[in-house]
Amino acid sequence: MKKKTFPYGFAVSAIAIIVAWAALAAALIPLWAAVTIFVIAFPLLVLFLTLWWRAPGGEEDIPFIGY
Amino acid sequence: MIEYLVFAAVFGLLLLGLHRKVIARIQTRPGPPIWQEILHALKFSFKSTWVPRTASATLYVGIVLIGIGIWSAAFFVVFAGESILILFAIYMLHKVVEHGFGLSSGSPYGKFGGVRSVISAASEIPLFVTIAAIYLLTGSLILRDITAYQGVHGPLLFIAPPFAIAMFLVILSKMPYGPFSIVESKELVSGYKTEHFGVWRAGLAVTEGLKTFVLLYAFVAIFIGAVPFWAALVIMTVVLISLSFVCAITPMLSPYDSVTIQGLITGLMLVYTGYLWWVIP
Repeated sequence: MKKKTFPYGFAVSAIAIIVAWAALAAALIPLWAAVTIFVIAFPLLVLFLTLWWRAPGGEEDIPFIGY
Repeated sequence: MIEYLVFAAVFGLLLLGLHRKVIARIQTRPGPPIWQEILHALKFSFKSTWVPRTASATLYVGIVLIGIGIWSAAFFVVFAGESILILFAIYMLHKVVEHGFGLSSGSPYGKFGGVRSVISAASEIPLFVTIAAIYLLTGSLILRDITAYQGVHGPLLFIAPPFAIAMFLVILSKMPYGPFSIVESKELVSGYKTEHFGVWRAGLAVTEGLKTFVLLYAFVAIFIGAVPFWAALVIMTVVLISLSFVCAITPMLSPYDSVTIQGLITGLMLVYTGYLWWVIP
């Protein structure tokens, strides 16, 4: 996944959370529906945000597999 | 509700920082600052990150999302006062997450951590007995009903203290640096976490923060009952400090001893449950 994709992923998950939160506050959706959106979108929000602001560099390597 | 979820993750990390601080002070070390785990999560999130060549990329990344997702779900289950059976089903799923973390990277240290995670499933057996006993006493597994029962009869902590001790030991088995922390012991570097670095480790830190908050909050709700939110936070901190004391003064057990002791605890709980079943009309 390209680094340019991450802000879009972050924006989509943030919008999903905000919309669910507002819809729940306005009693437009039931609690279980809002919670389902939170449970799916929150992990994506965390991961996309951190992948977006992480430092550049690094490439695939083989982990230390012992002596 | 999302604001509570974010608060839970941050407060959970703060509790883990306090855990390290208390252990260090008991062992006459200065220890890290209390907010160290929050700083760790931020630090890891800024580091350059990639997927190791030996890893199964889908599982390696997906397991981080699943880890945060299941503990977010667990938080809402506890927060809404739903069934503790769902909560503890999620607790069991965490075993799968630990296993997935360990096996996905291709590192032998991670794999050993994952395998030990399966061995330490014995730590969940006291949990089953505790759930059965709570049902025996309260007639329900819905958290709202359990807190309502305690409103009438008093905290379960005083009615059936052995089950509170069993639950305490279940939480202890999930605490870092504890006697049952065989999944991340030092001879395995960091166990199942070894090859998850940078952003992946930051995600794991969020999982750990949520997990710590949810387990302690569930302990308060199940064994103390309905208390104001600020009081729940204070009691959670006290419970955590008592866990830290145990972690500071007990060595890490070998995997065999860990499973044996947890099996013995389960046996004792079964005897006590049998006694309750006999005396309760």
